[in-house]
Amino acid sequence: MPSMLPGIGARADQTLALNMKLVSHHELQGFGGIGEGMGMQLARDGRRILWLAHESAPKNFTAVDVTDPKQPKVVVQTELPHAKVRSNSLDVVGDTMAVAYQTSAVNTKPAGFDLFDISKPEAPKLISHFDASGAHSRGVHAVWFVDGEYVHMASGAPDFQPTNPADDQFYRIVDVRNPSKPAEVGRWWMPGTRVGDSVPPPARHPKFDSGFRAHNTNVFPQRPDRAYVGYISGGAVILDIADKSHPKAVAHWRYSPPYTGFTHTVLPLFSRELLIVSDECVYNDGTDWPKLVWVVDSRVESNPVPISTFPLPPVGTFAREGGRYGAHNLHENLPVPGSWKSEEIIVGTFFGGGVRAFDLSNPYQPQEIAYFVPPAPKLSRAGAIQLNDVYVDDRRLVYTVDRFAGGLYVLEMTV
Amino acid sequence: MRSTAPTRDPLAGKLPVSLITGFLGSGKTTLLKRLLRDPDMRRAAVIINEFGEVGIDHELVASSSEQMTLLANGCLCCSVRTDLQETLRELFIKRRAGEVIDFDRVFVETTGLADPVPVLHTLQTDGMLGAQYRLDCVVTLVDAVNGLRNLDDAPEAAKQAAVADRIVITKSDIAAPGTVESLEARLERMNPYAARTVAVNGEVEIAFLRDVGPGSARATPRELGRWLAPSGEAGRGEGAYLGERLRSTGHDASIRSFCLWFEQPFSWESFSAAVQVLTSLRGPDLLRVKGLVNVQGEPGPVLVQGAQHVFHPPVTLDAWSEDDRRSRMVFITRNVSREAIEALFAAVGALSAPHA
Repeated sequence: MPSMLPGIGARADQTLALNMKLVSHHELQGFGGIGEGMGMQLARDGRRILWLAHESAPKNFTAVDVTDPKQPKVVVQTELPHAKVRSNSLDVVGDTMAVAYQTSAVNTKPAGFDLFDISKPEAPKLISHFDASGAHSRGVHAVWFVDGEYVHMASGAPDFQPTNPADDQFYRIVDVRNPSKPAEVGRWWMPGTRVGDSVPPPARHPKFDSGFRAHNTNVFPQRPDRAYVGYISGGAVILDIADKSHPKAVAHWRYSPPYTGFTHTVLPLFSRELLIVSDECVYNDGTDWPKLVWVVDSRVESNPVPISTFPLPPVGTFAREGGRYGAHNLHENLPVPGSWKSEEIIVGTFFGGGVRAFDLSNPYQPQEIAYFVPPAPKLSRAGAIQLNDVYVDDRRLVYTVDRFAGGLYVLEMTV
Repeated sequence: MRSTAPTRDPLAGKLPVSLITGFLGSGKTTLLKRLLRDPDMRRAAVIINEFGEVGIDHELVASSSEQMTLLANGCLCCSVRTDLQETLRELFIKRRAGEVIDFDRVFVETTGLADPVPVLHTLQTDGMLGAQYRLDCVVTLVDAVNGLRNLDDAPEAAKQAAVADRIVITKSDIAAPGTVESLEARLERMNPYAARTVAVNGEVEIAFLRDVGPGSARATPRELGRWLAPSGEAGRGEGAYLGERLRSTGHDASIRSFCLWFEQPFSWESFSAAVQVLTSLRGPDLLRVKGLVNVQGEPGPVLVQGAQHVFHPPVTLDAWSEDDRRSRMVFITRNVSREAIEALFAAVGALSAPHA
């Protein structure tokens, strides 16, 4: 990389804004640390309920009534059974919600996911639990549930022994058409990561090894035969899942090293024949910079070609405030009612860099068109905002959450 | 009403820029002094030529550098660096990094002898500036004492008045009786499409100098009228007889202004071809062009503006908001007649029409 002088750091106590206006802010009853699970329910009584998975114990998930975005109200907030489990991820389809459970150590329960009936948002009712715990498993890190029929997820399994303990979570498809009896129908892992594979284990990243494991596992109705998977140290993978019991890799784009790993999300823009691939920054103070959002030409599916990255402020602008600064979650055009869908404007969170929106009408030169960087939340251990995830609803309101303490920020995008 | 569109509003996100221009001695410094103290200037950035002239020492709150200073009313004042292009870029970069306030509009002082047209070009030819800023308006100061003479003697002064969206007449209190009236009449002949006001001691409502250009693809007819024809001519439906009510007498007969109306929608090919012919043959003489064009297949009017040979990228507005869907374009030219331009558009339109 060419060397670049770092910018002069922004002050953590200031708000920075361009074309995004704060509509409201809710600290979620003192438990304002939210993970990367956000889903919107259009409840039968007309309310809009935003469901949020917490970053860590003691809380499991919180539902917020955002019907009036100026006055968000907490509807319910639930507890985890103990502190060695976190929920982190959830998705909502109609009145059903899937919630992931990941443990901090193997051989710990609950590790898997729950299905809840949320037809009465105040009183979520457990339908079933899918157990993914085991001797080498930490359970489920992320779920994708948009059709009411299958949960796609990054998960360990009792029968899966990885060649390296960091490679425990792979891609699994679970049939939930009978929600009281979820059953696995297929899986895929990167060759070499399971004991007994015919190929040798992949070479580790020399500096930033976060594991060869799945993160986001997205499947859209436009291409029901494809799964778009961020595979952390393994890069971006497109799987052919026409036969769910035998997923096959049709494209595999690896760019780390030389880059610093952790491929998080692969978001297809079908009408544009593009993929938006986001990394996750996982180190403080800019150690793993640059963590980027890539624009990838996908016209020839098997040959993904990166053509640009989202232009971010220099690392020094936000990395020195404390905490992480770099790419993380994107609004993923969830194919469910209530979600905003755009193949031209992509909104993402960048931890200390806040939430930022980019115009992709020219994919070779993405333009930053809006941002909002809240001041450091009170009591945050990072000393700066750490925006973790974002959801945009079909009213074009932007919901974004802090990883540690700030809770929920509701924003209006005026561009 | 909040947009739910999956695309960017081509105008809404951009920071509006107002250019303040005027010949030497026209009172720009007095106006700037007033602006820099106005409570309504909170979150505005003002780019001036020299700090010394406007005497802001007592208003100073914090300096982020020798060139940039935050004033007591929340206005960010900065002196121009090597050139305006660099200053506007640097301002945006500092805004993004939290090093200066989140300013939401910019006023730019041009030097008294400056031709404002190259400054207009800067905003549209520099990719980064074009992406982040939009021209809101050109404000031209004309002083009542020397204005008439300057319009005669100094081509720059005439050009400044010709390209204006807003004209502020200054020094009326010390001008000889009747001068303001003569000056007004003269300006009305040169550029009837600019709204005018008379200021005393730099007292002008801030509102007169900003929010002139459309700020959204969903601009209302009133907002469009404010930009295109504040004094009414191009807003009324009577274009046919008004055109050359000019301008026959007097000194600056070379500068003409008129509004053309077109009944038939254009194809984009024919419209852009006509503009290309015009700019390639007479670019230097097109001082300012702005209009709303009915283009076949577009959901709303297409907003077009340019100066000399450079045109802003066209912007399609979301929808027609009135029944009158004729194209209307204001031209301010030097030695180019209304008839010539009308004939050009008619000829190109006829050639591009489908065969009967």
